Amino acid sequence: MKQLHFRSFRQQLNTAFLAVSLIPLLLCSVLLVQIFQLRMISDAQQTAQQQLTAALDALDSVHTGFQSVVDTLDSDRLVTQALFDEQAEDTKVYEQLFQATEALRGFAAFHLYDISGNWRYSTQSAPESKVLSTHWGILYGAAQVPGTVVYSAPEDPAALSAPLLHAAALLTDPYGAPMGYLTMELRSSQLGTLLGGLAGAQNQLLLLDAHWRPVYCTQSAQVLTLAETLRNQLLSGKALTGTSDNFVYTVARDTATGLTLVLQQPQVFTQGTLRLFYSVSTLCALGCVVLSIVLGLQLSRQVFEPIGRLHKAIRQVEKNDLEVQVPIPEGNENELTDLARQFNHMVTTLAANQQTLLENQKALNEAQIRMLQAQLNPHFLCNTLDTMKWISKINQVPQVALMSTNLADILRACISPAEFVPLRQELLILERYIEIQKIRLSDSFSYEADVPEDLKDCMVPKMLLQPLAENAILHGLSGVEAGQLLVTARTDTENLLEIRVCDNGRGLPPELLGPYRPPEKQTGHLGLFNVDTILRKHYGECFGLRLENREDGPGACVVARLPIEKGES
Amino acid sequence: MKRFLIFFLVFTLLLSGCAQKQTQDFGPADGDTLVIYTSHKKEVWWPIVKEFESRTGLWVQVVEGGTNELLETIRSGKADPIPDLMFGGGVESLEANASLFSPYICAQADRLLPQYRSGEDLWTPFSALPLVLIYNPKLLSPDSLTGWSDLLKPSLHGRIAFADPAVSGSSYTALVTLLEALGGDHDTVLREFARNLDGKQLPSSGDVLSAVASGECSVGVTLEETASRRIAAGEQLAMVYPADGTSCVSDGCAILVGARHPENAKKFVDFTVSRDVQQLLQDQFCRRPVRDGLEPSASLPDLAAIAQVDYNLRWASEHRDSLLMSWAFYLGSEEEE
Repeated sequence: MKQLHFRSFRQQLNTAFLAVSLIPLLLCSVLLVQIFQLRMISDAQQTAQQQLTAALDALDSVHTGFQSVVDTLDSDRLVTQALFDEQAEDTKVYEQLFQATEALRGFAAFHLYDISGNWRYSTQSAPESKVLSTHWGILYGAAQVPGTVVYSAPEDPAALSAPLLHAAALLTDPYGAPMGYLTMELRSSQLGTLLGGLAGAQNQLLLLDAHWRPVYCTQSAQVLTLAETLRNQLLSGKALTGTSDNFVYTVARDTATGLTLVLQQPQVFTQGTLRLFYSVSTLCALGCVVLSIVLGLQLSRQVFEPIGRLHKAIRQVEKNDLEVQVPIPEGNENELTDLARQFNHMVTTLAANQQTLLENQKALNEAQIRMLQAQLNPHFLCNTLDTMKWISKINQVPQVALMSTNLADILRACISPAEFVPLRQELLILERYIEIQKIRLSDSFSYEADVPEDLKDCMVPKMLLQPLAENAILHGLSGVEAGQLLVTARTDTENLLEIRVCDNGRGLPPELLGPYRPPEKQTGHLGLFNVDTILRKHYGECFGLRLENREDGPGACVVARLPIEKGES
Repeated sequence: MKRFLIFFLVFTLLLSGCAQKQTQDFGPADGDTLVIYTSHKKEVWWPIVKEFESRTGLWVQVVEGGTNELLETIRSGKADPIPDLMFGGGVESLEANASLFSPYICAQADRLLPQYRSGEDLWTPFSALPLVLIYNPKLLSPDSLTGWSDLLKPSLHGRIAFADPAVSGSSYTALVTLLEALGGDHDTVLREFARNLDGKQLPSSGDVLSAVASGECSVGVTLEETASRRIAAGEQLAMVYPADGTSCVSDGCAILVGARHPENAKKFVDFTVSRDVQQLLQDQFCRRPVRDGLEPSASLPDLAAIAQVDYNLRWASEHRDSLLMSWAFYLGSEEEE
């Protein structure tokens, strides 16, 4: 789990590196290409608009020129005579025609037709067909809107020998009656002079009629297919993309003539350019990925090697090896070397502390030994008491003999190494103590023990009864005449040994009744406290002393309860 | 991380969204278009469509193709753009696909010659196209080809240019006309004619004229319209109206069921039979008008002076499949020998 966590942290580091290097790169690339593209497109659009405006101006100049020719010839008496009455001199009519068309003759051929569509005069060579239908085509169109110039596209704009753009207008006599037609024809070369130079070297200009039928293209080879494709795209509501994706198209309509101009520009961003850009971006991204992985690995190694060494050292310390030290590489000061140094310092201090502790303990033990050695040998006291007994017997002082015998027995019991003794022995020692106390207190109380024979084999803690009896004598019987001390032992309902030490004194105040509670302040008498502690420590917290008042008369009882444990004997 | 990605994508889309903008202000209004499927050559449909556009202001989108090819596309329902009108194609072909068309009685229908009109007005005739025989005057003397019966002569064995009737509508009409003109048992005549072709038929009707003009074949069967124009263009061809009778089947135009612009289609149909268009047909395309009251043509002989068979359009239409099957059989069996 720890390993896994380590690894994921390392992965996080690597991912962060990757993100930090890749995202700005990709964002930058996309932004750059988009901005570049927008800029290029807007530049291209601007160029297109400029070129189209120039082309529109050129068309307008032709249109206004033709319109002024129409205006000049319209209502002209000479022309009326020529077309209507056929009474004018041809040279004068030509003179008039040439004068009127002077500005435009470089660009176009002009023809005059009479009202039936028969050709009469031309500024250049005569047209192919000498009769034009007035029920059809351009003359019909011109007749529908007198005074206005109508334009017409050729059937085959790729046939460069024939005129490409036709224009016609109805002429009227001074009274407003129609008298003939003026037509204008522009050939490919003339349209080329007019429009060809206006589009840039890479661009193509396409001239369409009002219904997007092709008239002229600066590159005549593709005029038909391109115009048809664009027209179909227009009619089906699609974007104008032409025959391939390599070009963009800009459209402008000439309001005066109804003609439409389409400018073809090479696509700013061709598929090839885009592919190149994507390749470069991908290569850069790959470089970034490699760089970030290398850097990530390098950095993570720099970070994780010291951490790993530290981790290993901590494991050693856990195994109580305080000799361990984390190696600190030279000349590379950072937080981790600092941490390692602090760790080393901490381990050293810890080892020193442990050493001090050991030394202290050793000193203490030595002191205790010395103290034990300094204590008086208790056997010396017993032997002395025995001696005292014999001396007092010799000297006829029986009380002293008795007291010294009893005291010696008690002292012997006290210093015996056994912790648990049979109840029988405990009762014996108690009797010795009572005898001493009786002598001391001039037989002011009586002592009685009521213990069944089978319970006398029960093992009890040494010196259990003496402190209880002492407590009863000192506190329960003080000031009582004919005092009684009663020690009983029974088995209770739970099959526990219950030892009672009762007096016939004043009894206990109610607040002390119940389980024994150690006094808040330690006084000189620790008898009850010691016994209670011994019982609870030996047998468990549910055992201990209990204080009661006697039910059968005045006086108090101290009850000790403990499990029945029979001695080996 | 995910949020980053989404932000990135949205950003990219926003940027690319504002890059492209196309103006569509130059096209026609929504209802001002008309889609025509035509089997006419461009030299025929172009002046008519152009004049129609400039007179009505409508925008016409023309899809060109062979009659059967176009009708097949329409029948499959996969036509794109969706056609409003089928312009061109022999009326037999139109009749055979009656379910595709919706009936319309054109304006001035009473001025149309009754023999060319459709019984149910499913289609409107456009021009009448008599069949003629052509020959190469360098290879054949004028009096050796007078009628259909000459095509069975052994002297012309293997020298006849005839288009595959399964592909060319006019060629099928010619086959029926030949049967009609010669009379007798159809199978016998078919077998004899197939044998005289020597298993050779041309892939399309246009090839007939080239084959004869180049001398590859001596005689051929084609339409008066086509022959007249090629002769006028100065090719080495001569034209004969069969003395034993020819047929004069018209082509037509028909409004399609499911047309998007039926009103515009009707305007176009009316225009095709208008006086101006019919006059143009006769004067410039050497086609016979289907309308009366026109000035007679200077170049074409009067139709009344030409012998005609009683061509049964319905019979021709109904027996097309079986006749073509027999034809293929006779032509093929000849090859196997």
